[in-house]
Amino acid sequence: MRIRVKMIANYRDVLPPEAQHGVIELDVPQGTTVYDAVARFPIPLNDESVVVLNGLTVELSTPLQEGDTVTAFSAIAGG
Amino acid sequence: MYGWHLKLLRVNLTTKKITREEIDPKIARDYLGGRGLAIHYLYKEMNPMADALSPENILIFATGPLTATPAPTGNRYMVVTKSPLTGALAHSNSGGEFPTWMKRTGFDLFLFEGKSAEPVYLFVNEDQVELRNAAHVWGKDTHETTDILKDETSQDARVACIGQAGENLALMAAIMNDKHRAAARSGVGAVMGSKNLKAVVAMGNKNPALHDPEGMRALSVETSKNVGADVKKGSNMRIYGTSYVPQVTNTLGILPTRNFLQGTFEHVNNIDGDALKNQYLIRHTPCYRCPLSCGRLTEVPDGKYKGKGEGPEYETISSLGTGCGVSNLAALVKANYLCNEFGMDTITTGMTIAAAMEMYEKGYISEDVIGMPLKFGDHDAMIEMIKKMAHSEGFGKDLAQGSYRLAEKYGHPEIAVTTRKQEFPGYDPRGSQGMGLLYATSNKGASHMEGDVAYEEVFGVPVKENPLMTEGKPELVKHFEDSFALMDSSGVCVFVGIRYMFNKDRMILPQILSEMMNLSTGAGYSPEEALKAAERVYNLERMFLMKAGSTEDTLPYRMLHEPLPDGPAKGKVVELDKMLPEFYKLRGWDEKGYPTKEKLAELGLPA
Repeated sequence: MRIRVKMIANYRDVLPPEAQHGVIELDVPQGTTVYDAVARFPIPLNDESVVVLNGLTVELSTPLQEGDTVTAFSAIAGG
Repeated sequence: MYGWHLKLLRVNLTTKKITREEIDPKIARDYLGGRGLAIHYLYKEMNPMADALSPENILIFATGPLTATPAPTGNRYMVVTKSPLTGALAHSNSGGEFPTWMKRTGFDLFLFEGKSAEPVYLFVNEDQVELRNAAHVWGKDTHETTDILKDETSQDARVACIGQAGENLALMAAIMNDKHRAAARSGVGAVMGSKNLKAVVAMGNKNPALHDPEGMRALSVETSKNVGADVKKGSNMRIYGTSYVPQVTNTLGILPTRNFLQGTFEHVNNIDGDALKNQYLIRHTPCYRCPLSCGRLTEVPDGKYKGKGEGPEYETISSLGTGCGVSNLAALVKANYLCNEFGMDTITTGMTIAAAMEMYEKGYISEDVIGMPLKFGDHDAMIEMIKKMAHSEGFGKDLAQGSYRLAEKYGHPEIAVTTRKQEFPGYDPRGSQGMGLLYATSNKGASHMEGDVAYEEVFGVPVKENPLMTEGKPELVKHFEDSFALMDSSGVCVFVGIRYMFNKDRMILPQILSEMMNLSTGAGYSPEEALKAAERVYNLERMFLMKAGSTEDTLPYRMLHEPLPDGPAKGKVVELDKMLPEFYKLRGWDEKGYPTKEKLAELGLPA
């Protein structure tokens, strides 16, 4: 199924050059979880990062569906 | 004396009398400094029912025991007064260099009362204190004023001043220092203008004596090392400052868009942190001695939006940018420069124009009245409105009163997204329930700086909370409000708090801050005492509000009755009634939000 991974700010550096505005489309097998989608990139997956599914706070073990967007950004900052 | 000078400079602008007063060390200890010491004096000396633009209002510049010390980010001051916008308390924070220079004059606080018959500025160089004629800078913007006053005093001095907006009593007028830093919210610049006080110029060499200078220096070195490690990892603060935030809030569906009609902005890529970095960023720039360096030195090199300065910060991007539906980054950067030059709070400026845009599009205000079309997204019209607001011209006179009074005047109060008549900052509370409780209860009207729970609901600092839930938010909001009161009273910047002190263990922040204050003052605070002092400050502020008649903790119509139409928080409103009663209980207030006798006694406050 087709899903999107979006990286914000400094996390964008881990994406390949074809990513547009921090977004990359991926083809993943059924059963892929939120964790699986971001674990393929060299970003921390602990309290130092925030990962959301379609903008919502979920367990990282949540399985993905067609058209989902997983977004990640560093938790070290402020506004 | 350590940390504090224990000296207050009292300036009666009516009589021109200048008095140097001692500050009672017990009062300093109980109220910490900065925001805390200021509310002690304000509550003691003024009638909270007084008109905020009358000579009866008192305006206080307040440094903390960590200001002008080697404490990391020990470079802040607070401007505290009664707000003409909200009728509640104003406490606006700023950094840059002026706060440190002010502390080096040998005074902790400057207190201004009365009103001068003619425009004046205050010059303080340690024991030399003079009220000088300011007629030659009245009418000039903050940048020109700063240059002229430094030329006639010293290039070693630093300046805090108002621009045309403050002179014209615009209710969003700010007090700018070092040209680009702002004590912005709640119309503090209008209070200064109402007193005919154009500027404060400060210089001196009286660094506060430190109880443990070696310990303080070691702490500073350790923090810089930690910051260095962050920067190596790729710190967003250094690379983007706050400009990376639009992508975050847009992802969560809480980015204020078109006067909060939506929570996502389809053109966010045009005005995000990468766009700013790639097109207009020269480099990051720090406040005085700050290792974080989150400021943005920027320039639009040519064209009709040509200019150079600092910013925009996130709150400007979400108000003058997405709040107004504006996607032209150069115009947004220019709008930010204009607000700094005229001395205006970008949040209230942007969201007031946004309210006017909505009213124009709905036919509630005509093109005749405005003088031109004013649709969402029209960045040139927005820039015209900023100029008119600063100079009190035409429709600018209406806009200068803020969105609440604007919407009321033109018959549609439901358009204004305000609490206590102050415009919301860049987090739509329908998708961030804790922020809704914060805006409703804040002592300064809607503001994120009173206790920014967005750090947990949005940014995951220290942990990610679910922003759509109300459970646990009353405790979270109280904790953040007390923590911010502590930081604001001590003299540090909240960004050092969010990076190094926010922790799942709620006592880490008061522990670190009490240690810092003890290195400076030797006062021997325990973390519990420091937190209690912050609660004391918070409750005294609340008492000021009660006596000022600003008693209603609520949210505007849109937040309670118009669900978000888009994004992850689609269909949500703020469920304030699920959070407010528990919040009052936790605070030790009665069901109307009034501090109980027991609570006041516990904190040693007068009933």
